[in-house]
Amino acid sequence: MLGNISHSSRQGRFVPRFRCKSGLRAILLVFALLFLRAEKITAQANAANPSAAQPTHEVVDEVNRTVRVPLVPMRIVSLAPNLTETVYALGLQDRLVGDTDYCDYPPEAQKKPKVGGAINPNLEQIAALRPDLVLVTKDLNRLDTVRALDTLGIPSYSTDAAHTIDGIISSTEKLADILGAAQAGKVVGDDLHHRLATLQEKLRSVPATHVLFVVWTEPLISAGRNTFIADALRKAGAISIVDSTQDWPQMSLEEVVHLQPDYLVFAAAHAAEGTRDFEALVNRPGWHLLDAVRNRHYAVISDAVNRPAPRIISAIEDLARQLHPASFQDSRSPEKEIVPTNSTSPAHHPRAALFTPDSFGGACLTESACAL
Amino acid sequence: MSSPLRSPLPSQDGADQPRAGSDLRLSVEQVSYAYSSNPSQAPRFTLEALSFQAKPGEIVAILGPNACGKSTLLRLISGELQPMSGRIFLNGFETHTLPAKTRAQRIAMVQQESRLLFPSRAWEFVLQGRHPYGRGLRFENSDDVLIAENALAQTGASHLTDRWMDKISGGEKQRIILARALAQQPLLLLLDEPTLHLDIGAQVDLLASLKRLAAENRYTVVVVTHELNLVGEYADQVVLLQKGKCLRVGPPATVYQRELLEQVFQAPLSVEMTPSGRPRVTLFSKT
Amino acid sequence: MRPLTLERLLLRCGLLALILFGVVVVSLKMGAVQVSLYGLGRDLIQVLLGRSSAISTDYGMIVLDIRLPRILLGIVVGASLSVAGASFQALLRNPLADPYVLGISSGAALGAIIALIAETHMAISPELAGLITPFGAFIGAAVTIAAVYLLGMRDGQIESSTLLLGGIISASFLSAVIMFLMTTLSGSNLRGTAFWMMGDLSTPQPKSLLYLVGIGFVVAAGAIYTTSSDLNLLLAGEKEAMHLGVEVSRVRIVVYIAASLLTGLAVSVSGTIGYVGLLVPHVMRLIWGSDHRMLIPASALGGAIALVVADTLARTVTAPSELSVGAMTAMAGAPLFIYLLRRRIA
Repeated sequence: MLGNISHSSRQGRFVPRFRCKSGLRAILLVFALLFLRAEKITAQANAANPSAAQPTHEVVDEVNRTVRVPLVPMRIVSLAPNLTETVYALGLQDRLVGDTDYCDYPPEAQKKPKVGGAINPNLEQIAALRPDLVLVTKDLNRLDTVRALDTLGIPSYSTDAAHTIDGIISSTEKLADILGAAQAGKVVGDDLHHRLATLQEKLRSVPATHVLFVVWTEPLISAGRNTFIADALRKAGAISIVDSTQDWPQMSLEEVVHLQPDYLVFAAAHAAEGTRDFEALVNRPGWHLLDAVRNRHYAVISDAVNRPAPRIISAIEDLARQLHPASFQDSRSPEKEIVPTNSTSPAHHPRAALFTPDSFGGACLTESACAL
Repeated sequence: MSSPLRSPLPSQDGADQPRAGSDLRLSVEQVSYAYSSNPSQAPRFTLEALSFQAKPGEIVAILGPNACGKSTLLRLISGELQPMSGRIFLNGFETHTLPAKTRAQRIAMVQQESRLLFPSRAWEFVLQGRHPYGRGLRFENSDDVLIAENALAQTGASHLTDRWMDKISGGEKQRIILARALAQQPLLLLLDEPTLHLDIGAQVDLLASLKRLAAENRYTVVVVTHELNLVGEYADQVVLLQKGKCLRVGPPATVYQRELLEQVFQAPLSVEMTPSGRPRVTLFSKT
Repeated sequence: MRPLTLERLLLRCGLLALILFGVVVVSLKMGAVQVSLYGLGRDLIQVLLGRSSAISTDYGMIVLDIRLPRILLGIVVGASLSVAGASFQALLRNPLADPYVLGISSGAALGAIIALIAETHMAISPELAGLITPFGAFIGAAVTIAAVYLLGMRDGQIESSTLLLGGIISASFLSAVIMFLMTTLSGSNLRGTAFWMMGDLSTPQPKSLLYLVGIGFVVAAGAIYTTSSDLNLLLAGEKEAMHLGVEVSRVRIVVYIAASLLTGLAVSVSGTIGYVGLLVPHVMRLIWGSDHRMLIPASALGGAIALVVADTLARTVTAPSELSVGAMTAMAGAPLFIYLLRRRIA
């Protein structure tokens, strides 16, 4: 059918001669040629990238990469929720053409075209949006993603992992510069600094509350002293009892009982969730040994505290109000009932009344809040 | 089927140059062996120096009770083990110095059982016997197929050609394994306790086949066994071993002496000669 | 009696190659973004003929720069893992063997983690940066291969059961070390590691690495293929193989090193993708038997097809999000494995 096999000796030495073989060789040759030309083709395809037409400049990003980015990026893709929030805070959302599945604040961000997760974004989707700048952060995105973007000729700018609140603010200002909106950056930065300064003023004479920031309950995980969360706690007039250099240290309950924090702090998307987390702990073995649990001394703040973005200042302010309400008696803040924090009566109201709508993104959490 | 399986062409590494006394196929000369699991300890097992010879067409039986060194002797002959002293010659060549492929063209071993990981058909199995005749990656040609078919016919297993190896009986499997050995076109056929899992009829069939094959194709057959009467009936020579020592070599009539056998097998018995000149052993119960 | 002939071998391989080609074409078309292959093909021909100098269409970049390298990577990795799996199954005489059973994947993962950690502490030029993790993974794999080889030696030769034990022990130990390291890693490192270990074809690798893996595949798979007849005999038993003229220890060493090399290279560029190396050889055996002269090339092509299909599904089923390809192979592989298991028992 296809040819004949001939053999040279009775011992079955393998020496075939095939008409089909020359056909095979021809096909292989064609493939090889195509492959070699394909290299040239892809190089040219890259060159046809329209973003090359804009004026660009070289900048050094926060992880010391020298990158060439457009002077005024008009098609921005954000690969991290905190960067998306920052873009909105700077008022540049019209230039945002894509973000990740997890970019949920502000709510309008959820309507932007999605490119997948932060860790494994879909490169095709990104490429299809034809961005002229992709924003990434060392905190969340992978180096491989950045490299992939480089290979595709898409410029990317990376912010550093956040460690301090001041760092977050300066990062925001730098990002504003890169995005060609230096003025907006200054406005936002100044506002944030001002609010922090006001807060410091109010808390100047008040001793810091010892708190345990609860990231997870089983196992018990808190935030280490080099995290921006620890810095946020400090700015809010609290001091974390956790002194570890690990970012997310696992604590033993014994240790916590020994240190007896005054308050437990939870971060949650909704106040009710935070309360639920706390209630779940009350009856767990060992936890009742904590004064803070028995006295129901806990605070719930927005999960904005987990994101290094401008909104974190609101969470800080909220925490400060919950921990040191006395310092805010004369303020014009919208909350009504200030329930004393050191009441030990078990029939004490849940603390939902103190949550400010701002920091939770505008949703109505409790009846009292909705009434505002 | 009477077509011989032997290839008239010389084997791959050149013409055979037998030593003087070319009638001799197999020559075991003062071969001894010692085995110890720990080099610093005394050997746990020894095979003392022994010698025997065999001609083409002969059946040699290595006979003895358990743990007497039968299998070790067979492994020495097959070239798997190197003798501690002495030499083994096959048509004038020392067996363990031959390269593996050449050795496999001359010596075929039939093991008791074949543990197949993935099931294969009988013909695939038999074709494996052609492996020594080729270099590297090879595909079987029509000659290989012919030889394999012949081998199956010689062992009376042609009807099993397309059957799966894991779906045939023990006796049938034995025939296929033998066929594979025949496909190697060897000079020397070695069998290690081939009758262990066979019923009496099959045992007799096997020995009778071996005798016929040895005569037709001029094989030298060496069988390790402890079946006294089969050996007595079919073997041309017997090598009697006990605890690593060779007690006697010779035709069955010479070796089957009552006192000797009783000493070796530790059981009361009697020996009588049949009209054909073959000894028959009857065992008594120990009372 | 119908022994395998070269003709039949090439015919069957041709069939598989044709299926692979079809799968590649379909995969090029599918994805989160709609492309017209016809338009692309037209442009390609124009460029080849020299009439135009660049691909003018948008999707040129997507197809050629993103999808095609990914598919090619899938082909090489799928082929490597399947050939390695078939080889280890023969070498260890164990149908449950897969490329990772000897601990190579754990060693590679450890190497990759160490490389990831080192990368953040060193300043590396961009050209080298993309190579650090695969390089580290390969070193990790190589060290494990050597260690398991030494563990598997007995009386100066490697022996199947000892090798298997040595491999399993190494795998456990290395996994424990990896777990420990992961608890000490911080955020982005941790994410990167976990992601790497799940198995991932979505990261474009440097071209030099792709060539290296491709050449490595050809060399190693070729070496294994030359021992196919020997492997057939080895499956019947080591003693028997020896009596049939197989140089058992030489074949073992060649197959061990070549199969480990295939696994190490594959894992370096794609993390640990499971089930492919285990199941593709079994499926090919069901179709065409366990003659390795057919099984090795069939596994290579079958593995390429399987992995490209899995990867394409992984990146289209939940578009624009992506599933990891390892999750896909597990989801498809586990039921298939159960089916195969029942078939053998029945």
